[in-house]
Amino acid sequence: MRKATLGSRTFDAINILIMLFILVVVLYPILNIIATSFSSSRFVSMGSVTLWPQGFNLRAYEGIFKDHFIYTGYLNSILYALASTFIMLLFTSLFAYPLTVPGFAGKKFLTIFLMITMFFSGGMIPTYLLIRNLHMLDTLWVMIIPGAVGAYNVFLFRTFFMNIPSELKDAAHIDGANEVGVLFRIILPLSKPLLATFALFGIVGSWNSWFEALIYLQSQDKYPLQMILRNYLFTLDTNAIQGRVGAGNVAVNAPGTTLDPKSVRMAVIVITMFPIMIIYPFFQKYFTQGMFVGSIKG
Amino acid sequence: MQKQNRSSLSKIWKHRYLYLMILPGFLTVLVFCYFPMYGILIAFKNYNAVQGVWGSPWVGLKYFKSFLHDPMAFSVLKNTLLLGLYTLLWSFPAPIILALLFNELKSKRFKRIVQTVSYFPHFISIVIVAGLIQMYVSRDGFINDIVIFFGGEPVSFLLDPKWFRTIFISSGIWQGVGFGAIIYLAAMSGIDTTLYDVAEVDGAGRWKKVLHVTWPSIRPTTVILLIFAMGGILGTDFQKVILLYNPATYSVSDVIGSYVYRQGILGAQYSYTTAIGLFMSVISFIILYISNLVSRKVSETSLF
Repeated sequence: MRKATLGSRTFDAINILIMLFILVVVLYPILNIIATSFSSSRFVSMGSVTLWPQGFNLRAYEGIFKDHFIYTGYLNSILYALASTFIMLLFTSLFAYPLTVPGFAGKKFLTIFLMITMFFSGGMIPTYLLIRNLHMLDTLWVMIIPGAVGAYNVFLFRTFFMNIPSELKDAAHIDGANEVGVLFRIILPLSKPLLATFALFGIVGSWNSWFEALIYLQSQDKYPLQMILRNYLFTLDTNAIQGRVGAGNVAVNAPGTTLDPKSVRMAVIVITMFPIMIIYPFFQKYFTQGMFVGSIKG
Repeated sequence: MQKQNRSSLSKIWKHRYLYLMILPGFLTVLVFCYFPMYGILIAFKNYNAVQGVWGSPWVGLKYFKSFLHDPMAFSVLKNTLLLGLYTLLWSFPAPIILALLFNELKSKRFKRIVQTVSYFPHFISIVIVAGLIQMYVSRDGFINDIVIFFGGEPVSFLLDPKWFRTIFISSGIWQGVGFGAIIYLAAMSGIDTTLYDVAEVDGAGRWKKVLHVTWPSIRPTTVILLIFAMGGILGTDFQKVILLYNPATYSVSDVIGSYVYRQGILGAQYSYTTAIGLFMSVISFIILYISNLVSRKVSETSLF
């Protein structure tokens, strides 16, 4: 090992500074949101809250939990995330498995059928008109079904299934299992890492989506949490927010008892981000490997 | 002939469960991917809901012509193209540089910590990111505190057309750079470490090693992703645009996606906006095709 040159050591130092910069730039806004949501309005309006709550209190959270739409938004988001992910895993597995069975007629047709959708799509307006014509506007189904089967996912599932030793399938066939049994009793139990990765990706993707809700849903009580958050951040003004969270009755003159709309907004961000922060440590282990499941050739 | 027929029929009968398994996914793709493709026909028709896609009268290229005469068309096309080009220029190299920097870190533990933190913004919703931007660049926000600290005048960044692209692209890098680096790091993890030792014996310094060992290992990945990025140059993340823009910045921020959303979904001009969408898809596909062709000639790496 040669002794590191001055240039090399300078580079290392700069590199570490760049990394520290990245840590600060990512972590500061997130910690600042959390701190602001727990701070009292006096410090929030002064703009003195940085990484730690000042004048710690839970008023912003008490306030948002008075808003009926926070509950419906939360429940809807959970429902949409779980249902759409379950349907995605089920339909994708069911589609991918037959493509691995030797001698299954139609494999080539189905592959092309899926491949075309990777390069061409109808676009926003024809899709919207279709959803409207199917009378799916403002229904739960529009948040669950349309995106359930993606070509890319099917191909990744197929590659994964192909790597499962065929002796296991043959043994099950000899024991009298049909193809459905082979998929559910042999293939899927052996595909837990794949299913876990895609379940997490599916849940996070659904949890974070909002545009479908913007164009397809009209009733506020069907809105997912992201839409409620969008309203808090972009459409509701200070008065509307104070009306929503019941801060209108608070004695305005008593210092420190009013609710700063900024704290309220940050509290809604925190509860929206909360589930992602909880599953992130588990997720983070899976997703790097999951991304490359497909690159392992069978 | 008959015998062959019967054998293929019996094969299908043998695999009847497999066809039933395919069915739910097949119908989903058919309905939600192929029916909208058929719906593109309305770009050439005067669509009305009563007569439907098939029954509405043909109008030929009327809507394509009216797009070219639309006073907004030039501005929207220009904004889409410029936002795409600048994004390509800044957001495409950023993860490559970050991955190269990660690769040069000596401490594996520190590398893992920074990596884990750097992925996180990718999993934050675009609504939250836009909300953060709005908060930090507002007149009493963090960025203006810094401006005032250095003796400047506070700026209403989101109302100023000069700043839209900078805000859009830098926040995009903030959100995507860590996650984008993963794929390059994966390509680097396949490098045979003896290559570095050999290079060192040959007298290569760190920069030379990056140039002759690390870079060649990620070059194919880079080319493939560059082709995709070229194909997506007109596919700006219009969801973020819709959250961040306002009439004050339309002159730079209004892109095809947001224009189609406003005129189509909100304004109910279905045929017209379908024509705009189709026009853009065709151009995107041509760009993708040409990039692929150039790449096949120049670097012998291609998608298709």
